[in-house]
Amino acid sequence: MQISARHLENTTIFDVTGDIDLANSPAVRKAFLSEIREKKIPRVIVNLQAVKYIDSSGIASLVEGLKASRDLKARFILFGLSKSAREVLQLSRLLKLFEIYENEEQALSAESV
Amino acid sequence: MPRRQLLLRLQLLSNPLVLCGVRGVVSPLAGAIGFGEEDCHKITLALDEAITNVIRHAYGGNLGRPIVIQFHKLDGENGAKPGLEIILQDRGVEPKPDALKGLPPGELRSGGLGLHFMRQSMDAVVHTRVGSTNRLRMVKFIQ
Repeated sequence: MQISARHLENTTIFDVTGDIDLANSPAVRKAFLSEIREKKIPRVIVNLQAVKYIDSSGIASLVEGLKASRDLKARFILFGLSKSAREVLQLSRLLKLFEIYENEEQALSAESV
Repeated sequence: MPRRQLLLRLQLLSNPLVLCGVRGVVSPLAGAIGFGEEDCHKITLALDEAITNVIRHAYGGNLGRPIVIQFHKLDGENGAKPGLEIILQDRGVEPKPDALKGLPPGELRSGGLGLHFMRQSMDAVVHTRVGSTNRLRMVKFIQ
């Protein structure tokens, strides 16, 4: 798994590649929380286009990011979910709690909900 | 009771790095038995979550402890349903009864989803304690 960050004005976009599981979800969580809590970035966007597999520990990292952003009135946005990642989020019954878009353009242009 | 045939026995050491290797084995194995793509993903997820629980809870995150996984093909003869039985054994601490109840999904909580995923993905998930061994039996039938 690899995670890298792109910084735009008031926005950080994380590009995640590979599977997210117990082996690497702590690194994903740390990256999210650093931007949200320490750098106070008001909008964090997560690109999941290249994530083919995610388990409950990966979902927990996304939940941590969402909770931290809500605490700070920031936005936490996902885009590019694969079929299997969407299925796992559906299984967790958390799909509707996240702000999710098809692609980066939509994620960047979406007004706050 | 359907006839069962041992297909594969994996002996692992508790380490999160083994998860990707196990996923790489179980999905094609389930496909070879006759499961469709969606069920292969469900079986893979259930096993991934089961091993994750062993590493995190039974072994408290300690590395290098034994985990044994057996895969049995269930024959669909004499009215029995064909499918896959997975038996996972570890020598960690016994889970507390509350931990086996699981937590309701749909809440913004960063834990407790693994057992829910296992139960949603498989047709049977049964935990037993035999002596000092935890034994988890999971079954998925071919629809």
